[in-house]
Amino acid sequence: MYLYLPVALTSINIFLPIGLGLAVGLLSGLFGVGGGFLMTPLLIMIGIPPTVAAATDSNQIVAASTSGTYAHWRLGNVDFKMGLFLLAGGFLGGLLGVQAIKVLRMMGNADFVIKLTYVLMLGGVGTYMFLESLSNIRKKDQDGKEASPKSDSKFGRFLKSLPFQTRFEKSGVTHSALVPVVFGCLVGILAAVMGVGGGFLMVPVMVYFLRMPMHVVVGTSLFQILFTCTEVTFLQSYTNHTVDFTLAVLLLLGSTIGAQVGAVIGRRLKGEQLKILLAMIVLAVTVKIIFDLTLTPDLLLSPMGGH
Amino acid sequence: MNYPYFKKLILVATALSVLCLFPVAVLAKLTAKTNHDHIKVNFTYHGSIVSVSGETDPGTDLVIKITSPEGHQVLRRKDKVAGILWMNVDKLTFEHVPNVYFIRSTKKLEDILTPEELDKYAIGYRALERQAEITPDMGEDGKSRWFKELVKYKESSRLFAISYGNISFTRKDDGEAYYTEMYWPYEVPPGTYTVTVYAVKDGKVVDKAEAKVVVEQVGFVKLLADMAKNKGALYGVLSIVIALAAGFGVGMVFRKGGGAH
Repeated sequence: MYLYLPVALTSINIFLPIGLGLAVGLLSGLFGVGGGFLMTPLLIMIGIPPTVAAATDSNQIVAASTSGTYAHWRLGNVDFKMGLFLLAGGFLGGLLGVQAIKVLRMMGNADFVIKLTYVLMLGGVGTYMFLESLSNIRKKDQDGKEASPKSDSKFGRFLKSLPFQTRFEKSGVTHSALVPVVFGCLVGILAAVMGVGGGFLMVPVMVYFLRMPMHVVVGTSLFQILFTCTEVTFLQSYTNHTVDFTLAVLLLLGSTIGAQVGAVIGRRLKGEQLKILLAMIVLAVTVKIIFDLTLTPDLLLSPMGGH
Repeated sequence: MNYPYFKKLILVATALSVLCLFPVAVLAKLTAKTNHDHIKVNFTYHGSIVSVSGETDPGTDLVIKITSPEGHQVLRRKDKVAGILWMNVDKLTFEHVPNVYFIRSTKKLEDILTPEELDKYAIGYRALERQAEITPDMGEDGKSRWFKELVKYKESSRLFAISYGNISFTRKDDGEAYYTEMYWPYEVPPGTYTVTVYAVKDGKVVDKAEAKVVVEQVGFVKLLADMAKNKGALYGVLSIVIALAAGFGVGMVFRKGGGAH
């Protein structure tokens, strides 16, 4: 069954986007990522122009993350206070990131540097998370209890010495209010420069720097993504006219349900299991990008926009 | 009634019709029409079939060309950076290259038309390449390399196609009728397309006729496309509100349905 998409200007088998939505929505609900790093290239692969793919994906994520946030909130896994602090930082970071791109472009060869940084960062985060969760899972097998995070590091003591210490009840951690704002800002800058949503960076930041429990990380990340993607959807519609609402509806039919299922499955998995699975996905994406960069592409010309 | 005036009129009319008839005796007038000049794009649109038919003089070859108005194409270019990584490096602008270009001929283009005639009527990729201008300037070799890439990209998007054969002829008392039909890909964007039929003899174009194909969005498809284009803010807000509602809606259903135990 085919449907014509008025903005993408192409016809598509409706089961493709619904299926894609289900799969990526599931990952969203499970791991608290938007899934743009998977969805955008997949949409391009099935014939959607790159600009439309990226913009429509953000519209779809609004629905998936609403559904996911709702599910996680019912499970008591959303730290709204932390989310808002991170958002404030992220907003600031987005503004700075846009300026950073301009500076990088003026220096020349920016895209090369950005792409390389992206790959290294993705690979680094994936590897660290993989090894760390693996060793935790092994330790737990020996001790039979949750490994407590080390909080006596130099970095940890530095964080404790900052002013405006405040308690984040849901996450069960105490931090200076500056900490989430600054980290949110850093992730915001990187996300803007690399042109990605940043969920794959935000999740490890919350786990390793803010020391939040994995289940709360997933819910809080989705809460944040909801806001970021709402803003991106509006800006894309307003300035680039590239949101295909028809396609977004097909995607969200799958992704809103996928996010619910993901949240349910996530409840049955341990934090470490979630982390190691996410790490494997991040590593798989890294490998895919490395292949894309090194193998000679079929087509050397492509329409403007997208990644 | 003024009789001599009437006589003169008849004379002139006869002379005119003889003048008109004379070339017809040499060559039947080439005509062209399409089966439907309006392709309506609604939600169920999945491409169409366009047929081109008309009359021609027996013994001529035909070239049917369908193009969008000559335009310019801006595309991103990938190249190897630092000798290892394939990346988008810059954009290329192709001037005087249409967005859509379909050719169907009775025989292979090079076998029925001289290179000069191909260039003159912009028939075939070689002719298109000659009239194209690429910026930034890539040099002679670069131009031919990147024009080939453009054709590859366009053919993969089903916006360029060149083929021969598949034009059928039936004998008629005063000439020959031709007929061909082709699949019209859904990738072709809304717009007005010119169908030009060239009659070819002895390596030269001896006659041509034109028809049009208009691709137009209708109904709800048009409404959405127009809104996305002209009322971006409202369109964005609506898209967000519906996405939010869908997210909440599904959340509620799952709670009631016992999806989350």
